[in-house]
Parts: sequence; structure tokens; C-alpha cells
Amino acid sequence: MSSSDPWLEVRGLSAAWERTPVLRSVSFSLAAGEFLVLLGPNGSGKTTLLRCLAGLERPTAGSIRLGGEEITDRPTFRRGIGLMFQDPALFVNRSVYENIAYAPLLQRRPRAEVAEEVGSLIDLLRLSGFEDRRPDQLSGGERQRVALARSLAARPRLVLLDEPFASIDVEVKAELHAEFRRALRARGAAVIHVTHDREEGMFLGDRVGLLFDGSLETVGPPRSVYANPGTERAARFLGYNVFPSPSGPVAVHPTELRWGPFEGPGTVATVLSVGASGRENRIVARREDGSQAELLRPGGEAVPAPGVRVRLLWDASVALTGPA
Amino acid sequence: MRPGRDALAVGPAIAFIVLFSLVPVALLFATSLADSGGLPGFYAAVGSPLNARSIGNSLVQGGLSASIAVAVGYPVGVFFGRYDWPGRSVLRSFLLVPFLLPSLVVVFGILDLFGPSGLVSSTVPALSFLGGGLPGIIAANLVFNVPVVVLFTATGSESASPELEETVATLGGSPRRAYRDVWGPPTLVGASVGGLLTFLFSALSFAPPLLLCGPRCYTAEAQVWSLDQNLLQPAVAGDLALAMVLLFLGPTILYLLLVRRLRATPGQRSYRARPIGHRPVALALGVLSALVLVAEFGVMAAVLVRTAVPVGSGGFGSAWAALFSARTTAQIGVSAGGMAANTLLFAVGATAIAVLLGIVLGYAVVGRPGRAYGLGLVLFLPLLISPVLLAFSLASSWRPLLGGEPNVWILVIVSQAILAMPFALQSLQIPLSGLSRGPREAAQTLGASPWQAFLETDLPRVRNGVATAGLFAFALGLGEFTATYFLVTPRYATLTVALARLPDVRGYAVADAAAGLLLLLSLAVFAALAFGGRRVEL
Repeated sequence: MSSSDPWLEVRGLSAAWERTPVLRSVSFSLAAGEFLVLLGPNGSGKTTLLRCLAGLERPTAGSIRLGGEEITDRPTFRRGIGLMFQDPALFVNRSVYENIAYAPLLQRRPRAEVAEEVGSLIDLLRLSGFEDRRPDQLSGGERQRVALARSLAARPRLVLLDEPFASIDVEVKAELHAEFRRALRARGAAVIHVTHDREEGMFLGDRVGLLFDGSLETVGPPRSVYANPGTERAARFLGYNVFPSPSGPVAVHPTELRWGPFEGPGTVATVLSVGASGRENRIVARREDGSQAELLRPGGEAVPAPGVRVRLLWDASVALTGPA
Repeated sequence: MRPGRDALAVGPAIAFIVLFSLVPVALLFATSLADSGGLPGFYAAVGSPLNARSIGNSLVQGGLSASIAVAVGYPVGVFFGRYDWPGRSVLRSFLLVPFLLPSLVVVFGILDLFGPSGLVSSTVPALSFLGGGLPGIIAANLVFNVPVVVLFTATGSESASPELEETVATLGGSPRRAYRDVWGPPTLVGASVGGLLTFLFSALSFAPPLLLCGPRCYTAEAQVWSLDQNLLQPAVAGDLALAMVLLFLGPTILYLLLVRRLRATPGQRSYRARPIGHRPVALALGVLSALVLVAEFGVMAAVLVRTAVPVGSGGFGSAWAALFSARTTAQIGVSAGGMAANTLLFAVGATAIAVLLGIVLGYAVVGRPGRAYGLGLVLFLPLLISPVLLAFSLASSWRPLLGGEPNVWILVIVSQAILAMPFALQSLQIPLSGLSRGPREAAQTLGASPWQAFLETDLPRVRNGVATAGLFAFALGLGEFTATYFLVTPRYATLTVALARLPDVRGYAVADAAAGLLLLLSLAVFAALAFGGRRVEL
């Protein structure tokens, strides 16, 4: 493997669930130490993709190369790929220390080396003082930190994270995002993280990819993907309003969308609800074609009453291409 | 429930169990000990050659049956629990049938296959040793109990966390390691639970030693019956029954402790069995499972074949004609229709009591683990109190109070209800434990009274569990033999009792028809359970 070759290379990966396609010829690559986030709605194939990479599901077509080796048909336990679920899946009858030491002991590393490895991971994930506790004596966030430490202790060649923060409280989630990112970077791990939370994905990823109906669309740096969502469904998933225009569909961010009197120019809509969203006002309106539009306007600005018919206007938009 | 109402509902239910099982058993033991001269008399009675032999028989038959049942049932249970294959769900339900079958039907199945003129032994005489003696008893015990081990092992397999198993693989653990650290331990717990139940059921078995071997193979259970009913030594019978309880206290408590560990870890992803694919181990397990299923089917098929074509003269259908003949009525003391009516009457009565008490007690312990544990010990006592002991103690304490023979049918119903209750309650506990308070409280905030809220929110959610418990209790009542045989008078003979008496009056073909009738009734209950989409847990 040369230094220019990608660390992970996935080519034409397809999978099906009882003859229903779940992944459709997915291809992408990942550099060593890179953090890729795959974003997509529920049922888009995110988890199946990770399970195929880990060897827990058998793809119907395609190939996976990791570190220059073909691993498509290799059994899970010989791939060197760590996978973390939403459920931390800890050994309930083992202490935090024993959970983290599980893989190093499995690899028959010397005891002293195991102790050093576990100790450094306990420090890295701020688990000092919890070594002797059982999983049922930990909070949800602590359990996820133990699960990550256990995963890293195996020295995986690739770490897969399947929505590990989905059931974590909002306040704890932000702290965990920072800790996970720091720990994974410190270990130089290549990571694929799947989530339906676009803010989480944009924050964590070196690159993000959007997965819809088993097809991977628009892979790139977070700001670039956000600025150019590409397709209508990608734009909608990222929170844009989509409007038709003479040159094709365009995406308009809720903060760029304004409302004006019904007699003026713009797209006709009826206001459904008005409320506060932090320091801004959130206005939801229904357009004549039945679709909804969302406006985020500064808090001091006047707002229309629900039921009022208005015109929607925008100054800036992003042109969309590709399939709807 | 509020505390006052709670006591009002639970009190009579507990009182029923205490008055019809604990108190009579305690009185029986006290009377027996007093009559036999205290502890020295107790030791002498239990240590007498015949009684000591019966205890030895219990241990040997229980130990052998449990060992073989676990050896055969464990791999089959793993196959049922871990792998997905066509017909798995239906066949898993079918495994309950042998457990629901009347013990006498299984005994007749063994005789029909391996006994004199048996369907197998007449073709392969070398296998005729299975038609009687210790091998025949073990074979009959295995027909009942291998499915028990299979079902508990499969339940254990399904209680393992699929995420943890996958995590072990991603951490570098081989499939053998995943077995050792994740899914092996719960399957071994399941097999141990099944093995303990097999040991208890086999050590306390009654019909197989009675009909397949005779006094030299009597278990302590059969010996207690013989001491009281044939040898007219009730005090010695009571002493032996007490020794049985003391001897089997440990395994029973161990069973109760282990069965609690089989509950699935809450919140885990639902278990999904894996396809067999080309895994050689799975294929080997599949072949073994097929053999076990063929054996189980074979016993039932033999009973049905003999029902249609009995041994000896008469030809097709003659057994049915003989069953309903006046001669049989004269021999048994009641007509075949009367026997069937008695059987159904007792089973329906026992079902009503078991389900009613099960609902009241099950509902009272929802969300109260401490109370559930205490009540659980009381409710599962019938596992420790064997059918003969229960019947013996009821006969001693209650028969005189009920005015003697004419009202003895009440005790038959009571005994069947108490024996069925642990299993009915098991079927009810799962839906009851899943009851959340949300819908009931929502109904109350909308103006429903607590009673209306119960009827309109909780009851519909446990209706399926109630039906399952009812069918289960009904099936056990249909096939109950030991306690009924002990208590019943000729006028109230059931099909099982008639079945045991018929061979004595050379009515083998008639007995085949009666066994067939019981088998068909049990299969009908199974069909109602399986095709009603009901899952029964042992």
C-alpha cells in the first residue's frame, strides 16, 4: 500500500434485506486518521453500511479494502474494525476496568502493557475513579465513554460509530462530542460516524456524506456540503426550503426567507404558526402546492398572525442540481 | 390498587392456597410424625428397605432422565433459539404438546411403539427393551422433558444481548469466545433450569413407574400412593412424603433462583435468529433436532395409529366402538361419555380457579418486585408439593369436612387448580409485567373510575395472556392423572383414570381409544394456542 492510497476504500457496495435493496452501489474512500460522518434520515441504510463494513452483514455486491487488504469476505473478528452501537453493550457483570481490558487480554498482550493501555484510556476519557464500578452504576454518558475506551483498547484499524449519542441528554451530548473527537484524534483513529443529527454531523466530521435510500450523495467538507447541498432531498434534509424557479429548483435558508404583504410579489403562503426559537421568531407557512416553508426572523421584527395569507421572498438562494 | 382493596382481592386468593395446600400438607406431616412416634419413627419409616429403594429409584430415574434430557435437549434448544429456518415458530409451539400431554398417553405411546406387539419392537425386536422397566420409564420421561430443556435453552439463547455478541466480534473475539462470554452462559442457565425441572418431574413421576415397570421401579411418589392406598399405612406414607419434600427442597429453590435469571435484559434490541446458511454446526444441530421431533411425533402418531387399528382382533374403528360399549361402562362404572364429561368438568373448574387466582395475584405484584418475590415462593410451592402429596393431604384434611365420597369431586378440581397455577401464572406474568400505568391513568383523567379504567385499558392488554393461561391450565387439567387417580371415586372417573384402570380389565384396545381421545383433546388445545398466535412460556 502506497502513502497515496486511501486507508479505506469501499467500491460499489450493495446490500438487501429480504430482497429489498438497502444499499445501492455505495462507493467512498477514507484517509488514515480521517473522521467521516454519514448523515441520513432513518431507514436510509446508515446502519446497514456500518454492519457491512464490520462484517456483521454480508453485502450482495461490492468490495471493501482496509489498509491495502481486501476484507470483504473476512469474518468480523479478524477485520480489526471496532463498532459502537447506540446501546453501549457493556458486560454487565464486569467492572469498567475489566470491560476496557477485554480486547487487550483477548489479544494476549502482557499484563503490564494491558494495565498501561487501560490506564491511559481511562485518563483520556476522564473515567478516573470509575475503574471498579459496574455498568449499572454509571450514567448513560459514562457508559458510552467506557464503550469507546473499550473499543479503542482493541487498537482497531477503523472505528465505526452507530448513533452513539442518540439516547444521551442534550447537555451531556455536547460534552461527549468534544471528548469523543479529542480521544479519537489523540489515537489517530480513522472513524466513520453515522447519525441523523445534522448539527452533530457537521460539528464532528472532517468530511460529511449524505445517504438517502441506500445511495451516497454529496460527500465533502461540512461547510462545502452545507453551502451546496446539490439535490432537493439533500437541501431539505439540511434544513433548507426548496422553491421552484425559472432556472430550476433553488434552496433558501430559513434565515434568508422573508415575508411580505399578500398584494406584493413572491410565493403565496398561509401562516400556520408563529413562535419563538431562541432569540429568533420561527414562522411556519403552507404554500399553495401544500408544502411547508420555515422562516427564522430576528426577534425584534414584526410577525404575521396565524391564518394570514402572505408572500414569501428571498434575496439569496442556492441552485440545486441532480435528481429530486 | 389501593392497599385496602389490594388486601380484599389478594387475601382470599392467598387464603385459598394456604387452606388447600399449605395447611393440609403441614397437618399431614404433623399427624404422620406423631403417629409414627416422632423423629425415630420417621427415620425408621424412611429407612425401611422398600421406602429407601423408592427414594433411590427417584434419584436414579430423575438423575438419568435429567442428564439425557440435557444432553439431547441442549443442542436442539440452541438450534431453535439461534437459527432461523422454515417452520421454526410452529415447531417451537409444537414442542409444548408433549408437556401438555397426559402422562398416561405418553406411557401408552411408549407401549404402542416398544411394548408387546409394538409398532417398532415388532419390526426391530432389539428395541423392545424400551417398552418397560427402567429404560421404558426413562424413555417416557424423555418424551415429556426433552422439549422442556429445548424450550428453556432456546429462551436462554434469546435472552443474550445481540449487541454484546456483535461487539465481542468487533473487539476480535472469535465465535467460540462469543459463546463463552455472551450467549453460552444464558443457554447453560436455560438448560440447567430445564434439567432441574426434568429431575423434579422425573423423580416425582407416577404413571411411568406404575404402568411400565411396577413396584420394583416405584419412585417415592408412587410409593407414597401405594403405602396409603394399597398397604394402608398412611403415617408411613406421610413420613415418606415429608422426606421427599426435604430432599427436593434444594433443587426446587435452585430452579426458582435460576429461572429468574432467564429474563431478557430490558431495553436490548429485539433478538433476531440467524439463517442456517452453510454452517456445518447448524446443519448438524438441525439433523439432531429433526430426530428429536420425529421421536416426539412418533409417540403421538403411535397412539393415533393404535386408536384406529388396535392390537388383536376387531379391525379398524373397533377400539372406539369398544370404548363406548356397555361392557366398558360396566367395567369402569361410568360410561365413556360420562368420563369425558367428568374430565371436561374438572378441567373447566380448575381452569376457572387457576386463571382467576392468577389474575388477582399477578395483578397485585405488577411493579412490586419485593412482593413478587415473596408471593412467587408461595405460588410456586406446588412445584415442591407433588400431586400425590397434595391429593394425600387434601384427602386427609378436607374429605371428612366435605361429607365424604359424594363431594370428592370438589377436591379433584381444587387439586388440579393448584397444580396448574404456577404454569398459568407464568403465562400471565409476562403480559402483566408489561402493563404500563399510562393508559389506565389517562382513562382516569378522562373521568373513568378505577374499575372502568381496569376494564377498558388493562384487561384488553392482558386478554391474550389470560386466554393462554386458561388454555394451558385446561390442558393440564385434561391430562392430570396422579392427584385425580388418588382422589376420585369410580362415579367421577376421568379419561386418565379410566385409562389406568382399563389394562387391569384387559381393555387394551379400549384404552388405546381413550388415549387417542385425550391426545386429540390436547392437540385441539395446542391448536388453539398455536394458531391463536399465543406464546406460552413454561
